Amino acid sequence: MEIKTGEYNVWNEGSTIHYEGTLRLSGTDAYQPILELMQAVLAEKPQNMVLDLTQLEFLNSSGINLLAKFTIELRKHPELPVKVLGSTRIPWQSKSLPNLQKLHKGVELVIT
Amino acid sequence: MKQFGDIARHNPAGAFAMRLVISDGPLGVSWQHASETCEFLGDAFALHHAKSGADYNEARHAIVYLVNELLENAIKFRVPGAIRVDCSLASGNFELTVSNDTAEDVALRFQSLIEEITSRDPGELLIERIEANAADETSSASGLGLLTLMNDYGARLGWDFRTSTSGAAVTLSTHAALTLN
Repeated sequence: MEIKTGEYNVWNEGSTIHYEGTLRLSGTDAYQPILELMQAVLAEKPQNMVLDLTQLEFLNSSGINLLAKFTIELRKHPELPVKVLGSTRIPWQSKSLPNLQKLHKGVELVIT
Repeated sequence: MKQFGDIARHNPAGAFAMRLVISDGPLGVSWQHASETCEFLGDAFALHHAKSGADYNEARHAIVYLVNELLENAIKFRVPGAIRVDCSLASGNFELTVSNDTAEDVALRFQSLIEEITSRDPGELLIERIEANAADETSSASGLGLLTLMNDYGARLGWDFRTSTSGAAVTLSTHAALTLN
């Protein structure tokens, strides 16, 4: 599955979801196709799940809310290992991604 | 006239400063203008800030995020009319004011939201509102952008509501300040 525009790409390779570019959509409705892609990966009942954000240069607060909502969905699967990958090169990730761990203690956050 | 939060401006008259006006237009066009405006201001102010040896990347990102969030709100909640953007930087203190006209009922609802999100620790409120929003499919997640600014970026925010010059709407000026490292 892949959602590709001039500004961002979101795609999955197995149960790893990759995000790339700049995501600055106007609200919950605009983010719905991306949420559906994420939910479709979860519906496959994977052994683990990885959200790879290391190429996502910008995410607005509506997008951060999308990640938060999905993290709350993941909480309903306590047996599923979840890893969120970030980059120290991209400042929003060190600032905002720790909030996901507050929502779901099972999230392993790796920012390198 | 009604004011909330921290509206004091500290940068002196000689500070590095810019004023931009985003003209009214369709949502898609305005959204694109907001995106270009925040990238431009992020670049210009971070370059200026980095002259003192500070981290360009950190400063640029914080400015882009702040300007983008306030412009998104202005575009979503304005009545037809321009959005004015004023920014200045002195001694690592970045100040931004975004002004636009909004409908009176929207302004009143926003005032209640401001009272709520400024009443307690923004970190706790951010998590509580995310949880509430996830439980309610119809929620618009309002306030989350402002809470991320306060909690994740340490932004100091203030709001000033006045009757617009035409008398038909409310002029809202949102003030923000960030300490750049």
